[in-house]
Amino acid sequence: MTTLDEAPCLKVENLDISIGDAIAVARGINLEVRRGETVALVGESGSGKTVTALSLIDLLPPPLRVTRGTITICGETITEATPDALNHVRGNRVGMVFQQPSSMLDPSCRVGRQVGEALQLHKGASRGEAFERAVELLREVGIPEAPRRARSFAHQLSGGMAQRVMIAAALSSDPDLLIADEPTTALDVTVQAQILGLLERERRQRTLSILLITHDLSIVSAMADRVVVMYAGGIVEEGPVETIMRAPQHPYTKALIDCSLMREAGSGDLESIPGTIPPPNRSIPGCRFHPRCPHALARRTGSVCASSEPEATRTAEGHLVHCWAVEP
Amino acid sequence: MLAWRANLPAGAMERFLLKRAIVLVVTLTLVSFLAFLVPWLGDADPARAIIRSRVADLALDSAAVEALRIRLGLDQPLLHQFFAWLGRVFQGDLGLSFTSRLPVADQILRAIGVSATLALSALFLALAIALPVGTLAAVHQGRRFDGIVTFIAQGFVSIPEYWLAPVLVLLFAVELGWLPSAGWSGFETLILPAAVLCLRPLAYFSQVMRASMIDVLHANYILAARSRGLGLAGALVRHGLRNGIQPVLTVFALWLAGLLGGSVVVEVIFAIPGMGRLIYSAVINNDMPMLQGSIICIVGLAIIINTAADVLYGVLNPTVTVSGDAR
Repeated sequence: MTTLDEAPCLKVENLDISIGDAIAVARGINLEVRRGETVALVGESGSGKTVTALSLIDLLPPPLRVTRGTITICGETITEATPDALNHVRGNRVGMVFQQPSSMLDPSCRVGRQVGEALQLHKGASRGEAFERAVELLREVGIPEAPRRARSFAHQLSGGMAQRVMIAAALSSDPDLLIADEPTTALDVTVQAQILGLLERERRQRTLSILLITHDLSIVSAMADRVVVMYAGGIVEEGPVETIMRAPQHPYTKALIDCSLMREAGSGDLESIPGTIPPPNRSIPGCRFHPRCPHALARRTGSVCASSEPEATRTAEGHLVHCWAVEP
Repeated sequence: MLAWRANLPAGAMERFLLKRAIVLVVTLTLVSFLAFLVPWLGDADPARAIIRSRVADLALDSAAVEALRIRLGLDQPLLHQFFAWLGRVFQGDLGLSFTSRLPVADQILRAIGVSATLALSALFLALAIALPVGTLAAVHQGRRFDGIVTFIAQGFVSIPEYWLAPVLVLLFAVELGWLPSAGWSGFETLILPAAVLCLRPLAYFSQVMRASMIDVLHANYILAARSRGLGLAGALVRHGLRNGIQPVLTVFALWLAGLLGGSVVVEVIFAIPGMGRLIYSAVINNDMPMLQGSIICIVGLAIIINTAADVLYGVLNPTVTVSGDAR
């Protein structure tokens, strides 16, 4: 277990991300990942998870940009860092694993070279050394015939293989933090379990911190220590995984858990949340979730939900809920 | 050892080249037939044409025409003549030029060497400028540098060679005296024609490179490379160029095949003894064997160049096998 006085591996304070200057896609994000901890960032598609992840290593595609707040990774303030300092953090202190593994590999570059790239950049390894180490890493992430696979190209790998390669590449220079953005979404269920097992094993062996971004709550309960739930660019609830999964307080979190298939489906019907997540360019006064919220308070006309945004309410140690209906 | 061979089933490359060789032979046979018919297109009687091409003002002596016809085998059935001719073509014998009385094959070989030197100089010059310029334009997409590049490229496409060539000659040869105005005697005489010839391909290459690099810039693997700590420039050099250059290669091969046939305008203006001028004077002088030989050689070269481009494409892009199907 981690001690609280240790500086967090990742700390995000009051982060705002906008398209240009006008449209906010994420607002007031506060995040903390401590050493050796796995934090899951959960939400539907369009809730701003991936954008948040990319902002952490300052690789937001323009015109998306961070408009407010600070990001600190291993003591380096990303939001104020020079381009060189950023390049030193990326791949060295932070590894990144993405959703579509096959498209993340250069189609005309040997897999082994890409896995060893961070070693060449950050650890001063020669091309040959990096390649040799890449073969070892590939073996470590469970790729059979690693020496031969290192010489192959992206199109010769299955999705699961490609994701193992991406993990090997992300872990090659032994980073402190791994950001995994939907690492198993594009994979078969059986392969999903293998990849998650691999991530968990690496986390224990390396005392790695993981920020796991996913929409899949079954992954969350298996992997995470803490959960942060995002909706429409804002955090709605966060807390230890047991609390969130067993006693969620926010109506959105409750709805998400009801929708997830791991719940014993008594009636045989599949649950869904009525309505859709609002696009970033539509401004909603009050709580962003209130138009879809099933809670009686939100349904009442002229209620506080529709007029002002709820502040965080602490219901237990480390458990924060942004909802007017929750009493402290 | 070529990298991609490891990814091919055994003998795939050999089969591919064999297939292309068959295509080459079949196409050349068909083209030869068309080329063989050329003398019959303009003048109904090749024997007359030959005599007229040699002695312009001579009143045609019908006895002489008849003698020549029999000597050249022109009294034989057409198909018989064709196969006899085709047999000689595949042995490399393209006949004698009407005007110089020298073997056509030798002259074409010499002229193609000249045109190839000129074409490759112009195209590699264009490539050397277009790759960085196109890449930078892609990086600065929609900004001022990109706009200027597109504007200049449009200008280069629109400038006619018959105008630009004399202007450059007047400026650099006549006014400044830095370069020779014409001729073919070494590097100095190559500069002006190569410069004139490179502008149009330069415009095309840079625009193709720009479009292709815009795609590459948005590719996920560039994002992944950057997440490993490569800067934008580093990611583009290590992972971008090789993917971005592939469409340019296709256009390059088309231009090379086109320019090996000679650029008539540039070669005539700069008095360069290449294919363009050879064909130009063959047309002027009604030199049928020279025309026939030129057509066959140019078509054959075009096929060979395209095959080479396909093979090179496979080297650059491992997802493409040489048989042409992408996985």
